[in-house]
Formats: sequence, structure tokens, C-alpha cells
Amino acid sequence: MATVSLKNINKTYANGHQAIENLNLDITDGEMLVLVGPSGCGKSTSLRMVAGLETITGGDLYIDDVRVNDLEPSERDIAMVFQNYALYPHMTVFQNMAYGLKNRKVPKDEIQKKVEKAAEILEITNLLHYKPGQLSGGQRQRVAMGRAIVRNPKVFLFDEPLSNLDAKLRVQMRIEIKRLQQEFATTAIYVTHDQVEAMTLADRLVVMNEGNVEQVGPPIELYEKPATQFVAGFLGSPAMNFLDASLNGNRLTLSADVVLELNDPNLPADAHDLDVVLGIRPEHMEACEEAEADFTLSVDMIEPLGADTLLYGYFPGTEALITSEQPGKQQFKRGHRLPLRVDRERCHLFDKATGKRLGS
Amino acid sequence: MVENRPWLTVTRHLVLILGVFIIGFPIWIALVASTNSSSEFVSGLMPLWFGEEGFGNFRRVLANEERVLGVSVSASWMMWNSFIMAMVIAVGKIVISIMSAYAIVYFRFPFRKTCFWLIFLTLMLPVEVRILPTYEVVASLGMLNSYAGLTIPLIASATATFLFRQFFMSVPSSLMEAARIDGAGPLKFFKDILLPLSVNNIAALFVILFIYGWNQYLWPLLITTDEDYYTIVMVIKRLMSAGEGNIPWNIIMTTTILAMLPPVIVVLGMQKLFVKGLIEQEK
Repeated sequence: MATVSLKNINKTYANGHQAIENLNLDITDGEMLVLVGPSGCGKSTSLRMVAGLETITGGDLYIDDVRVNDLEPSERDIAMVFQNYALYPHMTVFQNMAYGLKNRKVPKDEIQKKVEKAAEILEITNLLHYKPGQLSGGQRQRVAMGRAIVRNPKVFLFDEPLSNLDAKLRVQMRIEIKRLQQEFATTAIYVTHDQVEAMTLADRLVVMNEGNVEQVGPPIELYEKPATQFVAGFLGSPAMNFLDASLNGNRLTLSADVVLELNDPNLPADAHDLDVVLGIRPEHMEACEEAEADFTLSVDMIEPLGADTLLYGYFPGTEALITSEQPGKQQFKRGHRLPLRVDRERCHLFDKATGKRLGS
Repeated sequence: MVENRPWLTVTRHLVLILGVFIIGFPIWIALVASTNSSSEFVSGLMPLWFGEEGFGNFRRVLANEERVLGVSVSASWMMWNSFIMAMVIAVGKIVISIMSAYAIVYFRFPFRKTCFWLIFLTLMLPVEVRILPTYEVVASLGMLNSYAGLTIPLIASATATFLFRQFFMSVPSSLMEAARIDGAGPLKFFKDILLPLSVNNIAALFVILFIYGWNQYLWPLLITTDEDYYTIVMVIKRLMSAGEGNIPWNIIMTTTILAMLPPVIVVLGMQKLFVKGLIEQEK
């Protein structure tokens, strides 16, 4: 049972580089908050500041309304799962899981009980006497999780815990982590650069870029209403298409031949030749009859994925490479000319200058 | 590259046999000589086969019967001196250097880099180079003719510090962070995590340093005048320059064999750890 709250957190390194600028986040009890962003966006630094492994150079950090800025990591009652697991190589799995308890002077029989219970939950009881070197990547990951849950901390911190696993295991462990976190109802902060992981795990998602928070909210909200062009481009796979356009009222001019009439009352009515960027996801362009088409895509590259097929081509009259996702059952050939219709309800408009979302 | 050509195999074995011969023959000579009586050497030729003395020479040397060594102490006593010297130097060097490496790698303190480079610079100043000033210091501290004088000046070690530093830097920093979260302070982390991980390195270093300490010749020669503190290596040289008469080769070789034994035992006993420490990183 814990809340975590970051108030105007700053991180400036000794060399003057500012990694985090005025970070404000409130994590409610039992919530899984996922920090996602490209490398160098400050997500790991933020997590490490919560853990106490990096000093906070400005602002206040509260865990359960106690200011913990100056507390040692061990005094903050958190547990962290590292990307490379960070298991002690010379200790057995049991000793690895027990080490934190031992240092807290928990009685021996209680340690035994707690470790065994955690091992049971993670199904690693038969591994307890092995050393980490004898385990596979997935098993090590479980042990690292076990080390975290055995202490029953206030907050779980995950630092890209799945990046060292192969694709299949990653999906499996992702589900496992979600299940465990829900079962324990422990507040958790999870850092990843993988947007699929972020979307599936998060109760709330924080997209970060260059030390700033771009948007915070439930994953679906961020997917459907990205607040900035950066969020729009970061979330979703395959990535959103961006096309330069100019906006006059509700009239969006993409090229001499392609003009879309949008029906959004929230667009700035006074827009006059406003430079904007149209964002449209590959799955929101429908194949249709030539007569209904907004434009025709000349297919340049095809990636059949089974369930879907990805088609790449240049938007007519421009040099913008765009992606379209079509149902996999249809056969396509290179050079195929595909009439496409843009879903008007799912167009995203961003101010070209600021990158901020326009309209609703 | 594994190739299977008959003439290659033959050459390979010839080279190996030659190598074994070059290393083995002098030892053979020493071993054989140690079993002969002194009269066998009068002709000036080394015998190539065992003589009748058997272990008689060893008994005489170890107990210094009839003052065969030309000094008042026995070989067993001098081996004990050598052993103490080698042990204190090896253990002392390891303790000092592992602690300084720990400080240099894991703590941020002012002039940390300067400290490291100062230690590193002393690599260029081995005992032989600084032997006069060191002697002066040891003499003024009244440590001539003492175990302290034999060992302390040789304990500081840049090489070992450097090796431990390299090893500590290869230990993932997340281990330290995990330990911090697990509530281990600096000393606990050192004792519970770093030390057990360094066991192989420590063993490898111990072997090297023990032999280094055991083989010291110049330093003990300089600072000991009291025969009670003579080391076994020193006395070999003394025997060779013993007077005008015949050099007692059988006694010299017996002492040599004795002086070779402890390093051999250490190497054989710690071979596995030694090799591991030099080549393998714990996964």
C-alpha cells in the first residue's frame, strides 16, 4: 500500500547536462505506471532517482507522504528488478532471495518461509539450490522477480527487465509480471523502450522525450488521442504516418490533388494556410473503390506478416514514404496501385511548429 | 586450428620434448647431485645418476649437521624464515591492494584519480631502484634484522592494486546497486559480494606473490646480518662462494631442491584456482 509522488524533480549532472526537467508524477496505490521513451529520454534516470541510486538535484520525492530524497535505497522500502538481473553469481538462488531479508535481520525461519513462498509463486522451488550461472535467462528473470517480491516492498521498480530475453519468453514474462503485480496489488514503476510492453502492462503510461514528459494517461487514451506528434509517432506498431499539409478551417490540403474535408468542430476556425502535420495510422487507411478513394498508393515494398500485410509506398506527389496495413488474405504485388480512403474520424492533426495536437 | 598431419604431430612432440628437457634437465642434475657424496664432484663433472647418499644430504642440511651450510642456523630454520617472509608479503600485498582497489573503484573522493596514478607510477620503481632510500628508512626505524624489515618494505604493490582495480571494474555496477537496495552497506558489500567474487583472482595473485616473496634475494641480503634472519635463497649463494676449497655441490643442490619445494607445492596445490583466476570470469 503506497503512493509515490514526484514533485518538480530535476536531475542535472556534474557536467551541467540536465537529464530531467521538472518532472511531476503522482502514482496511486497499486498502480502500474510505465515510463516509456527512446534511449536517453531520462526514463531510467527517473526510475533510479526513485530507487535512490541517483541523487535528486532538485525537487521532492515522496513515498507514502514521507520525503525520501535523502534516504538510502534500502531505507525506502523499494525493490528493483534490473535489466541484467544483477543476481549475486556466487550465491545460490535461495541466498540471492534471502540476502535482503538477512541484512534486515529477519529471523532465519521466517526467511526460510518467505523465500519458499515466493519461490512457489514463481515456480522456482526446484531451482533454489542452483547458482545463477546454471540458470537460463528466463529462470534468472524469475529469480530476480523473486528477490523483489520476497521482501514485500512498498514499490516495485522495473528497469527494462525483459530486454535480455528472447521474443517468446518476453511475451510470457510480460504476462507473468502483469499477473504478479495485480495479485500483489503493489505500486509499480516500470521502465521500457518497447512500446508494446508499455501498452500491455501499463495502467497509466508516461511517454518521455529528452527529459520531459510528453503525455501521461491510460495507454488507449494515448493511442487514440496523442497529445503531441512525438507520442503519436512513438506509440503504435507499425508507426503512424505523417504527412505535411496546410489547414484552412476544416479543409486539409495534402497536395494539389488530395484535399480532405474534416468534420472537427474543435479545429481552430481561423486557421488560414496553417502548416500542420497529418498523422494517420497504417490501420486507419482502408482499401476501397477508385471512386471513393482519397488517393492511390503505388506499392513499392510488401511485408506479409500473416494476419496482416504491410504495404509501403510514396504518397502521390510527395517524397513521404507511408505505410498501409491491409488484411493478410489479400495478395499484393510490387507496383500494385491501391486506392485508399482515409478514416476521417481517426485523423490526427499536429501543429507543425509546436508538435502539439490540434482539434479533438 | 586443429590439423591432423603426421609430420606436424612429430614436430609438435619434438618441440614439446625439447621444452621439457630444457626445463627438466637442470632439475634432474640438482636432484641427482643432492644424493651424491662430495667426493663425486672432485673431477669437476656433475654425476648424472643417483649416488649412495640417499637422503643423507637432506638430513644434514635440514639439521645443519657439522655446520655443512657454513652458518649457525639450519636449513629448516631458514626455510621457516623464507616461509614467513613469503607469506607475510603475499598476504600483506593482497590485503593492502584489494582495499586500495576497492576505494579507488567504488568511492568518489577528492584526488581519487591522483591516488590511482600515484600508485600506478610506483610500478616504475621496483625494489631494486629504490633500494638505498628504502634501506635508509628501514635502518632508521630500527627494523634491520627483523621480520618486519624483511617484509613491510616489499608489501606495497601497484601490480596487485591494478589487477584488482581491473577486476572490480568488470563487476557489473548493478550488483552494487542491487546490494544497496538489499541493505548492504559498503563493508557488507565488500565482504559478502566482492570478496567471494574475487576468490579466484586472490588465489592467482597469491601464487605469484608467494613465489615473488620466497625468491627475494637482494633485499634480505642487505638488511640481515644476524644469521637468525637468513633466508634459504640467501644461503645458496653463500655456499657457492664458501672459501677457496671445493665447492660443496651436493650440499648446494640439496639446499636448492629444498628451496624449490614450497613454491612447487603452492603452485600444484592452487593450480586449479590459479588458472581460473587468470583466464576465467565468473559468469
